[in-house]
Amino acid sequence: MNIRKNLLPITTFVKIDVKRLFRDKVAIFFVFLFPLILLVIFGSVFSGDGNVSFRVALLNESSSEFSKEFDKQIRDNEVFEVDKEISSLDAAKEKMNRGQLDATIILPAGFGDIQAGTNFPSGESKVVYGQNNQTAGTTLASILEGLFKEINTGLVPTVEPFSVTAESTATKGLTQFDYTFSGILGFTLLSLGIFGPTTVFPRLKTKGVLRRYHTTTLKVWQYFTGNVISNGIIGLLACGLMFASAVLFFDLNMRGNFFNLAVIVVFGTILLFGIGLALGGWAKNENQAAPMAQLVTLPMLFLSGIFFPTFLMPELLQNITKFIPLTPIIDSIRLVITENASLIDLGPQLGIMAAWTVIIYLIAFRVFRWE
Amino acid sequence: MTKTIVVVKKLIKIYDKKQVVKGISFNVKEGEIFGILGPNGAGKTTTLEMLETLRPIDGGSATLAGVKVSEDSQEIKALIGVQPQTPSFEEKTKLTELIEFFSAAYGEKVDAMKFLKSVQLEDKANSYPEQLSGGQRQRFSIAAALVHSPKVFFLDEPTTGLDPQARRNLWDLIREVRDRGVTVIMTTHYMDEAELLCDRVAVMDNGKIIALDTPKNLIKSLLGRGFKKEQQVQQANLEDVFIDLTGKALRD
Repeated sequence: MNIRKNLLPITTFVKIDVKRLFRDKVAIFFVFLFPLILLVIFGSVFSGDGNVSFRVALLNESSSEFSKEFDKQIRDNEVFEVDKEISSLDAAKEKMNRGQLDATIILPAGFGDIQAGTNFPSGESKVVYGQNNQTAGTTLASILEGLFKEINTGLVPTVEPFSVTAESTATKGLTQFDYTFSGILGFTLLSLGIFGPTTVFPRLKTKGVLRRYHTTTLKVWQYFTGNVISNGIIGLLACGLMFASAVLFFDLNMRGNFFNLAVIVVFGTILLFGIGLALGGWAKNENQAAPMAQLVTLPMLFLSGIFFPTFLMPELLQNITKFIPLTPIIDSIRLVITENASLIDLGPQLGIMAAWTVIIYLIAFRVFRWE
Repeated sequence: MTKTIVVVKKLIKIYDKKQVVKGISFNVKEGEIFGILGPNGAGKTTTLEMLETLRPIDGGSATLAGVKVSEDSQEIKALIGVQPQTPSFEEKTKLTELIEFFSAAYGEKVDAMKFLKSVQLEDKANSYPEQLSGGQRQRFSIAAALVHSPKVFFLDEPTTGLDPQARRNLWDLIREVRDRGVTVIMTTHYMDEAELLCDRVAVMDNGKIIALDTPKNLIKSLLGRGFKKEQQVQQANLEDVFIDLTGKALRD
């Protein structure tokens, strides 16, 4: 058989399969709407609209009049919810780690004293916040900055004796939403790649549709390729829609190259779809496929840093995490969006993805059955 | 003398160490409608599935148009059309698209409407298979099975669950297919169907062929052994009454 004859089943399948998606309301919901809903939920939680209050600890180590006055102002301010029990930074840190506090404001010793040679009080306050609370930390710092500016202009119109510095070890400019977005994108690819085929293929088997295909000269690799291409297209459309919404409505900072992002999205879709293809292609029916899909998806969701950063995990888990198929996908998406990483920069991630793709598709071919 | 197109010799199928097809042999002539009859579990479907390359052959041999079934499944698949017991298709797919996909599966491009017309479904070109009635779906399935002009057409209980009108319509359709030169091999539970439609029938029971001849000869040999029905045969039966009352026109 010549090449054109071999490719005809693939192109025909892709054409029909993509059209079929747009006729299926349930599929449209899960492919396009559901990720958008997630995006809206996470977007509004993490981008913040100013009406929030912060749970803070206030450590006043200074004995100046000014610091006492400032202490009182913060306690009276509605934006701050001051934890009165905390009296040391260690206690505050512990609570921050548990997520019970957003940040700690420190007024160091000597804050608000009148320095020699000046006739006004000055000092530097500190905001300490946890890794998982970057937005809160930076917002808090800027609120304090605003407060200080007001006081500053009242005291000395030209110089700014009080200032605030925010301390964080994170990459500069990486907002919580930018971080979360790559996770939501990864989650979408995961559900598209795994939940799709693990429901569709077993259903087609129990109905005898695949068996019917098996009576024709259609080959497994042709059927696989057709499915992979149509899923790549659908994945690109779904992610494109999410990306556009994120930029339009949630001010996503896109620093990277769109082509690189598209490459990662398509590559990631193919890899994750391979897992779904292996499970769905192996399972005889829905009852077999559903628990397997959960078994594979859940650990990946938790370990790949989709919803919380991997560096919060114990070291042993972190090492495993790096090699889970989903992790390099999310990491590359994040690196492209926030750091304008090139495909060469992403070499290690793409390498792990390529290795997984080969392994997974070898397994998928092995275990596939038509009925 | 017509050519033989299917040769089956001592065909065996084993499930769980038990023979379910016990070394059956038969020939099918080119251009005939060959029926395989028998109660449930007789091995009819298994026999068909072995000839369709869907099940491995555990013993004996089968050749189809000179090709050994166990040797080149791709070539066999290109030579045969298969109508499964309960035809089912992917949902939300237009009939024209399904025809296009099935022909593409054989590496061919066809005029989908031509095939839909041949089974009187041109009005349903843009419908989805889940919107079709049982009879329509059977007809569509036949059209889909013939997109690549196969030499042999296998049908597994094609009329099960259909109303009398749809059954008659399907018989006409199967005859048409035969008249186009396609050899038809079908299984059925219905003796009236086999008697009317099949040129020759093999009766299977317990994995063995216990009789093989034309329906007429089989009846003749039974009568020859002195068989008599208890009741006088009526000139008409209830089905004749039903068709007389409701007409032959298709209802779906």
